[in-house]
Amino acid sequence: MSIRHGLLALLSRGPRHGYQLRVDFEASTGATWPLNVGQVYTTLARMERDGLVEPGESDDQGRVVYALTEAGRAEMERWFTTPVVPSDRPRDELVIKLAMAVAAEEVDVAEVIRRQRTATMRTLQQLTRAKRDSTQGRARLLVLDSMIFQAEAEQRWLDHCEAVLKEAR
Amino acid sequence: MTVVALAGVTRVHGDGEAAVHALKGVSLQVGEGELVAVMGPSGSGKSTLLNIAGGLDRPTSGTVHVDGRDLATVRDLAALRRRSVGFVFQDLNLITSLTAVENVMLPRELDGVRSRRARDEAMAVLTEIGAAALAGRFPDELSGGQRQQVAIARALVGERRLLLADEPTGALDTLAGDEILRLLAARCAAGASVLLVTHEPRYAAWADRVVFLRDGLVADATDAPMASAR
Repeated sequence: MSIRHGLLALLSRGPRHGYQLRVDFEASTGATWPLNVGQVYTTLARMERDGLVEPGESDDQGRVVYALTEAGRAEMERWFTTPVVPSDRPRDELVIKLAMAVAAEEVDVAEVIRRQRTATMRTLQQLTRAKRDSTQGRARLLVLDSMIFQAEAEQRWLDHCEAVLKEAR
Repeated sequence: MTVVALAGVTRVHGDGEAAVHALKGVSLQVGEGELVAVMGPSGSGKSTLLNIAGGLDRPTSGTVHVDGRDLATVRDLAALRRRSVGFVFQDLNLITSLTAVENVMLPRELDGVRSRRARDEAMAVLTEIGAAALAGRFPDELSGGQRQQVAIARALVGERRLLLADEPTGALDTLAGDEILRLLAARCAAGASVLLVTHEPRYAAWADRVVFLRDGLVADATDAPMASAR
């Protein structure tokens, strides 16, 4: 995804100025993707150039309020109706690292897995604590849940790797 | 204060060629108010560990202390389990012909507490865990998550402050499973101690400390600080 898609979604709730968009963005994503206000204004300027948003009146502090255009609404719809494919995501460093550990000589792969599993569990514990203590909205909770499911999948995969390598020994 | 302490515990099933070494020297402590999770694949010895911690099974060697008492010197383990240790399993926790509150009362009545007082105690613990509304229902009128709530209430009724849970979320979806862990964590915050056995990382992560069991040995635990090397 790009920042512009996120901004389109937030603008669908009504016109906003840049600072407000930044606050909304972080509140929805649980601050997993921090934005600075400069990025927001740069993105809005490009979106305006591409006809996705239009500036309206300035508020009393001189901040320009942006609204979705028809094209902007269509682009948002296209984004939400198109599933994400794996190539949109960056390569997973851990997967590469473990593959290299298996390929390399003189690496104790079981030890790499053991260390990683404990580190991943610590991450999972931190995420679970954040979820337990969260008083924020549903969007943020679901973002935390997503990270929990991902950490859990990583943990399961590490267990699987361990079992496969043990079998091969 | 340490509520349960295992020191150098081994457990061998059978002997000679056919001997199975389920535990090969495990030491583990659970403190007051602590939630400890034991993770491991099937066959790693985690259920054996739990059974030994609660006096359902005896170690081949090593010692087990519950509330400071050496289990090797306790004659009536059944009485100890009724008074000090509560168990929650994956399923089959409740007696289907009894209502929720009657199930929770049962260990107290077996221990000689009068019915009226046992009921008061059962209602108190059900109320504490937010399940008072379930009191009059039979197990087959409850959801899987609600049944486990009642099982937890029964495990904590009376003076018991140590709860041993063996895959208590096994049959539940993730939402109901999370609620069970939320409940266990809350009971720990209120002073109970929980030793949880699970193979699911997402539930283990609710624990203060996660212990990884592999082939009858503790392979690692999350309490030692370790630098991230990602």
